[in-house]
Amino acid sequence: MSSFYSESTFLALIILSVVLAAIAALLFGIKRHLSALNKERNAEEDEPSLYESKIKPVIDGWNPTIATLVIAGLFLVVLGGFGYKFGMDEVGVQQGYAPSQPINFSHKIHAGQYEIDCKYCHSTVEKSKSASIPSLNTCMNCHKYVKAEEKYNGKTSPEIQKIYNAIGFDGENMEYIEGYEQKPIEWVRIHNLPDLAYFNHSQHVVVGKLECQTCHGPIQEMEKVYQYSTLQMGWCIDCHRERGIDSENNDYYEEAHKNMIAEGKDFISVADNGGLECSKCHY
Amino acid sequence: MSSNNYWKGVEELDQTQEFVTSNANEFSEGLPLEQVFSNDDATRANRRDFLKYFGFGLGAVTLAACNKTPIKKAIPYTEKPDNVTPGVPLYYASSSVSNNEGFPVLVKVREGRPIKFEPNKEATYFGGGLDGLGHSALLSLYDTNRLPGAMVAGKRKAQEWSKFDKEVVAALDKTATSGKSIAIITNGSTSLVTNQAIEDFKAKYSNTEVVSYEPITYSGIKRANKKSFGQAIIPAYNFDKAEVIVSFGADFLGTWISPIKFHSDYSKNRVPKDGKMSKHYQFESLMSLTGSNADVRVPMKMSNVSQHLIALYRELGGATPHQGMEVAGNNIKAAAKELEAAGSKGLVVCGSNNEADQLLVNAINMMLGAYGSTIDSTNYYKGQSADEADFTAFLVEAKAGKYGAVITIDANPVYSHPEAEAAFAKIPTRISTAITLDETSVEATHIATNLHPLENWDIKEPYKGRFVVSQPTISPVFNGRAVASSLVAWSGGKVADKDETTHAYKYTKAVFAKAIGGDFNKALELGVVENTSSSSVPSFNITGGAAAEALAQVKGAEKELILYQKVGVRDGAYGNTPWAHEMPDPVSKVTWDNYISISMPDAKAQDLETGDTVKLTTKSGDIELPVLVQPGQTKSTYGIALGYGRKLPEGVKNDLKDLGKNAYGLVDMSAGYADYTVGGIKIEKVPTTFKYEFGITQTHYSIEGRDIIREATLDEYNKDPMAGGHVHKPKMISLWDDYDYSKGHHWAMAIDLNSCTGCSACIVSCSIENNVPIVGRDEVRRRREMHWLRIDRYYSFEAPAKKDLSMSIVHGGDQTVEAGEQMTKEKVMEAYSAASENEATAYDYYENVRVAHQPMMCQHCDNAPCETVCPVLATTHSSEGLNQMTYNRCIGTKYCGNNCPYKVRRFNWFRYNENEKFDYHFSNDLGKMVINPDVTVRSRGVMEKCSFCVQRIQSTKLAAKRENRKMKTDEFTTACAQTCPSNAIVFGDLNDQSSEIAKLYANERSYHVLEELGVKPSVQYMTKIRNKK
Repeated sequence: MSSFYSESTFLALIILSVVLAAIAALLFGIKRHLSALNKERNAEEDEPSLYESKIKPVIDGWNPTIATLVIAGLFLVVLGGFGYKFGMDEVGVQQGYAPSQPINFSHKIHAGQYEIDCKYCHSTVEKSKSASIPSLNTCMNCHKYVKAEEKYNGKTSPEIQKIYNAIGFDGENMEYIEGYEQKPIEWVRIHNLPDLAYFNHSQHVVVGKLECQTCHGPIQEMEKVYQYSTLQMGWCIDCHRERGIDSENNDYYEEAHKNMIAEGKDFISVADNGGLECSKCHY
Repeated sequence: MSSNNYWKGVEELDQTQEFVTSNANEFSEGLPLEQVFSNDDATRANRRDFLKYFGFGLGAVTLAACNKTPIKKAIPYTEKPDNVTPGVPLYYASSSVSNNEGFPVLVKVREGRPIKFEPNKEATYFGGGLDGLGHSALLSLYDTNRLPGAMVAGKRKAQEWSKFDKEVVAALDKTATSGKSIAIITNGSTSLVTNQAIEDFKAKYSNTEVVSYEPITYSGIKRANKKSFGQAIIPAYNFDKAEVIVSFGADFLGTWISPIKFHSDYSKNRVPKDGKMSKHYQFESLMSLTGSNADVRVPMKMSNVSQHLIALYRELGGATPHQGMEVAGNNIKAAAKELEAAGSKGLVVCGSNNEADQLLVNAINMMLGAYGSTIDSTNYYKGQSADEADFTAFLVEAKAGKYGAVITIDANPVYSHPEAEAAFAKIPTRISTAITLDETSVEATHIATNLHPLENWDIKEPYKGRFVVSQPTISPVFNGRAVASSLVAWSGGKVADKDETTHAYKYTKAVFAKAIGGDFNKALELGVVENTSSSSVPSFNITGGAAAEALAQVKGAEKELILYQKVGVRDGAYGNTPWAHEMPDPVSKVTWDNYISISMPDAKAQDLETGDTVKLTTKSGDIELPVLVQPGQTKSTYGIALGYGRKLPEGVKNDLKDLGKNAYGLVDMSAGYADYTVGGIKIEKVPTTFKYEFGITQTHYSIEGRDIIREATLDEYNKDPMAGGHVHKPKMISLWDDYDYSKGHHWAMAIDLNSCTGCSACIVSCSIENNVPIVGRDEVRRRREMHWLRIDRYYSFEAPAKKDLSMSIVHGGDQTVEAGEQMTKEKVMEAYSAASENEATAYDYYENVRVAHQPMMCQHCDNAPCETVCPVLATTHSSEGLNQMTYNRCIGTKYCGNNCPYKVRRFNWFRYNENEKFDYHFSNDLGKMVINPDVTVRSRGVMEKCSFCVQRIQSTKLAAKRENRKMKTDEFTTACAQTCPSNAIVFGDLNDQSSEIAKLYANERSYHVLEELGVKPSVQYMTKIRNKK
């Protein structure tokens, strides 16, 4: 009972089937009782009901095949619409996902209030495919001294203490503990691209000159980080169609820029440059 | 020349019923249609079953959908090392693991995990390539059977090193007091560090003897050189300087001495330049990789090699006292003539391990003036230097109880020597330094588990004055300790328990300063230090005449067994490397097996077919194996590969377990040296109820008489550079608009069939780079191998010109194959039957085949047939000329695979990762560390194929964009091209006029395979030119 379904699902299913069985038994009993009553009543009076006088003749007039098809078609359209909206289109989309993290790190304080450059912590964003979560020694550059003691009656903030506990720092004596077994912080990953899609931060930040906020939203206002964009392929494609490449200022695009001028255009979109081709992102 | 002359295997040539049937079918195995449509209720699928499964499926999907998206963790470093950037690889200069004499490579490391070997292009002497086994041996680092640390017999848990050391020292001290000796068995190590540590050890334990042991030796060459010029060495051979190469049974491109370097050197003269190329004669018994590349390949019985050498020696003007048998045949005469003309640019090599043969070879090379030119005895080869006489002496004394302790370092004699086990049992303390439980360490009393070479520091000296320096590329995965540190610890040196790697570093640095000197960090950066002297000619003390006299009495065996090494397996030391076993043998194309290879005439005479089981008996034992009929093999010779039959640890449950049979017991030691040619053998057919089925890839696709391979002779080429390429070309009309690649890049590949030797290193390199799964023997039998790149091997017949066939074998072939005409089977049969009335020689023409190797991968066609049939547009064309495969779109109809004329698309029948049935590295946590994180691991039900290493294209383009510059010419290349030791594959941008590919595309020899289909491939081949008239 590992990944296929969890134990709680299994329990819920058992309870559900018991309840359903009970309801079925109950309905069966009611039906038997009602039909007995009906027989008794029919013996006394025989006046047609609203259903029998008005609705039934209309229904009887319908072609049964067409009626079935129409109803089934309607059913499919409605169900399909729901399925598309809440099924296909939304499966795996985690927009707004804001899990609790092991340390209540606030981007609002760091990036917003203190205006620390994103690249100070996410230092590989210009070099690598991953922006990378900073290692604890980066945190310690400041937090060796910054302990937010004023908020906690002279004690080290419990959140900052978590850093010390992980890296092995004695906040009172201001020294690293010898031979300490370090415990890395296990952050919960918010932005999850599937393995089949290749994304490179440096491409977008250095070459594409995008701001972090374009995809990650108002990160400097987020107390708790959430996934701002859908990260769906359609979202990628839309942007690749709209945005241009900076062909003028990058020698790599020298030929492309010449061609553009020769063709009398003033803009090459990422898509024009082959940015919609499959193997640009999938390999 | 008609392309009808080529065939891929005996089945195709003979058009056996089985071949014809399976070839006509779309699927290799019949579809179970009858079962589905039969009226038998037991097997028939009915409506109720359908509803049952449908209902279950629906329910299962609904339930599965109830699951929450799993929470993924992102765990950063606590303290990030300065030079590591997550997502960006680092390259360290190091030494190849399987080439343990030292071979420079680069190790690609991602986030602290070595994921691939790449050639070290700085080390030009070594040629800048790598072999298939070299690539595969990376998996030994991620072997789940690696030992956790210091082990003591009878205990499953690792010991504290300090406690372990006390025990070992106590045991070693006891030998001194009881008057017994300590033996250290090494692999004739070229490691300066280990050798220094042994010296340190000897300083404390003066009762230590060092015994060199290698499973396969070249003692014949060493002993002959000792006699010839007083140096017991294996010289360095310079094939790049040789214009005429004559090899007698030496597989120098496959397994002989240092094949990767020989490959690079050899290929330098194989592409015609100014009307010239080197000429290669190969006299041999089995069809070796080297023989398959020779211009003139003459079948010879290895037991007759002495007569051949004497004949050549006499033909070159050497005086011999005896006359008679050693009359030169036509091919020997031709070879002698060319050697004489080449003079010091000639080179004769011989695979015999007999000292007298090698003495004669020395005399011939001396006459030619090869020393100082094609042979360098000054900066000689230092690897594989063991002499079996040392070990034989050790065995005798061990059995007599001389030794109180034995320490084995990088040696596994219990596996590769039949008498080692009994001798070891007589030694009370047996200390091994293996990293897994191999045949020797499983019997050890103590295992001082070594570090893996990729976790360790080392300095090796493969050639005199050429040093290869290696450094750790990963922190130790288990709690092992460097051998040098262990030896130092036992001899009283201080090696702190938590300080093993630090000690190894300091120790290695000290050895470097003492032995080489200079900048250690610079040496680590480059990986090689060269400190050679100019080559001088040694003075000879012995003439060839004396050697010839000694040999004149030698008579060839009636039937002989030849024990050889396979290119992908070698001596068997890296038995647990599935990549190497799945790599098809370059000649037989068999995966995952060893077998007895036999010639066609023998097979017909003894009523044997491929798959029959045979018992082969020699003086020293017998072996039962299935047979494989090998075209080109000499009559009356039988070949068995060494390196199989490893006893792997219990944890191994896949095809590697009990793989093949161990043939080391059959090596003939009776003459005081290891003779790999064994005479006096007996062959019996073992009655079996079924034929053994090999996992063989050669006939998976058929040639159907199409114009796929083109070849010409050097003479034809010199007259007309287009020779071989004059085929009828139909007028091309295209249904599609042409692509315009003039803007941006246009990727293309060129493959020179002249340089390609078929060594198959590219196959393994590609598999590792692109996370190609290993499927195992059974799936290969079902034609489901996943390799993105295969090497097709085609045979064709050669015709005899002279009639005297009966003399051909003894005298180096009286049938001159110089004539060079390719023939159909019928014509060859006609010629042979005209030449001989003897019934027994009726199938002799199978001895004279020539071979062409052709790497085949996705051709990235402009008008790709696969693209037009894909119903979901999963395979599309890029603006840079790539045929793109998008796995997440693919729904697995396999239409594309069916419509591909080159048959290069592969279907994932299973999810090969996380699958118990495919228990290779993809299925365990340790093995998964080798996965390339830049390439998707494909799932079940999708097609895949060569992508032209699009991940490398993308990352190099990105680097250029980031650095605000244009891409450099030939800035990067694909995994296959990068590893090719003979530089046969070239990849690049056709739009860059200065690139190598643009130049090759203009070459007259260029052609596209199946040009007439009009699919416009992006891979171009170059006609094979053979150095013949």
